[in-house]
Amino acid sequence: MPVRREKAERLADEELMPLVGRKDPEAFEVLFDRHGGAAFSLAYRIVGDRAAAEEVTQEAFISVWRSGARFDAARGSVRSWLLSVVRNRAIDFLRSRAGKAPKLTFDDDSVLEQRPATERTEEEALRRETAGELRGAIGKLPGEQSKVIELAYFGGFSHSEIAQMLNLPMGTVKGRMRLGLEKIRGELAEGLA
Amino acid sequence: MSAPEHSRWSEDLAAYVLGALGNGEVADFERHLEGCSRCQEELRWFEPALQTLPESVERQEAPPSLRANLMAEVRGEVREAKSRSAPARSWRQWIRKPAVGFAVVALLVAGVVGYEVGKDDSGSGGGASTVVRQVDGLTVKMVQEGSAGTLQIEGLEPLPSDKVLEAWVEREGEVEAVPALFVPDRHGHAEATIADMTGVEVVMVTEEPPGGSEAPTGEPIMSMKVPS
Repeated sequence: MPVRREKAERLADEELMPLVGRKDPEAFEVLFDRHGGAAFSLAYRIVGDRAAAEEVTQEAFISVWRSGARFDAARGSVRSWLLSVVRNRAIDFLRSRAGKAPKLTFDDDSVLEQRPATERTEEEALRRETAGELRGAIGKLPGEQSKVIELAYFGGFSHSEIAQMLNLPMGTVKGRMRLGLEKIRGELAEGLA
Repeated sequence: MSAPEHSRWSEDLAAYVLGALGNGEVADFERHLEGCSRCQEELRWFEPALQTLPESVERQEAPPSLRANLMAEVRGEVREAKSRSAPARSWRQWIRKPAVGFAVVALLVAGVVGYEVGKDDSGSGGGASTVVRQVDGLTVKMVQEGSAGTLQIEGLEPLPSDKVLEAWVEREGEVEAVPALFVPDRHGHAEATIADMTGVEVVMVTEEPPGGSEAPTGEPIMSMKVPS
């Protein structure tokens, strides 16, 4: 028996997932309403096209619907898991689009560009504020570090492809990735302190 | 494990976190990770940094069609699974639900209101038929060709953003959703395809939340008895 929408809205993501695993559309709809915006934004950031981002997001959520029971709470939050599914789908989409280079932004100003958008809930507003702070943390990275991180995470390139692209030794690429992530991690730790 | 050997794997850790190792490298690294508590600890330390990346992107408004199409697919799968695993719910059981009962009563009342049947005179259809009816300011046209049908409605008001139109058919006293949600265009025209009109006695349309519903949740905005 599916849960009512009002009841599903009161449940935490981790409580919704078993219901999604039992094919409850109300639970799934609540999950989409909570994270669909972030998922679409991430897909758009990777594929650079609204229609393709819509397709990728829908495919990702359908795969979650069909395999909801595979979520493992021990490996992180539902939101992180969902976004990783979206990211993987988007990278697959880029790779399948033969000959078309992924949308990559190397210009820090445009990476950090912010356009006004409707803030529908306090939670969403807080997330936007957090996203702005996170963009700030990433924006503080030296360009050489943010570039390799962006190419890897948003472009789906391997370290060897990046090394070839930037004409750098592979060790240098891996080193920059590590330094970049360490700095972001450090910023987060400072923010929590 | 020696410090230099660990250092080699440690160098790969950030690339692994970012999904930037090659396929063969991932398998090697994961084999190492299984038995290396230092790498496991470092991986856990890096996790929050990885999680900031998707959260840092500029927020975009998702198009409403994303939610509508997604939920239509999900509800369609649910309906399909139910129809495979259990006999269809009888018309009488539906009527017992107050909201649905009201909708069904309206449907039956509308069903006995006069309708006009006209044969397609294009001469090319080979048995195509058209049913046209005026009700509440709407012009409803049902074009049947072979076993498929197209429902066309004119004169619709714009829908609220949280509503879509859902079509239903009644066959042998049982109501089934048509797996297609639709919305009127700016001219008030809406159209839905009904893939299988075999045995359909009545067609009706209700307003439903995006993604559709498993059963009608309100009074139909139109219903039409289909001539046998």
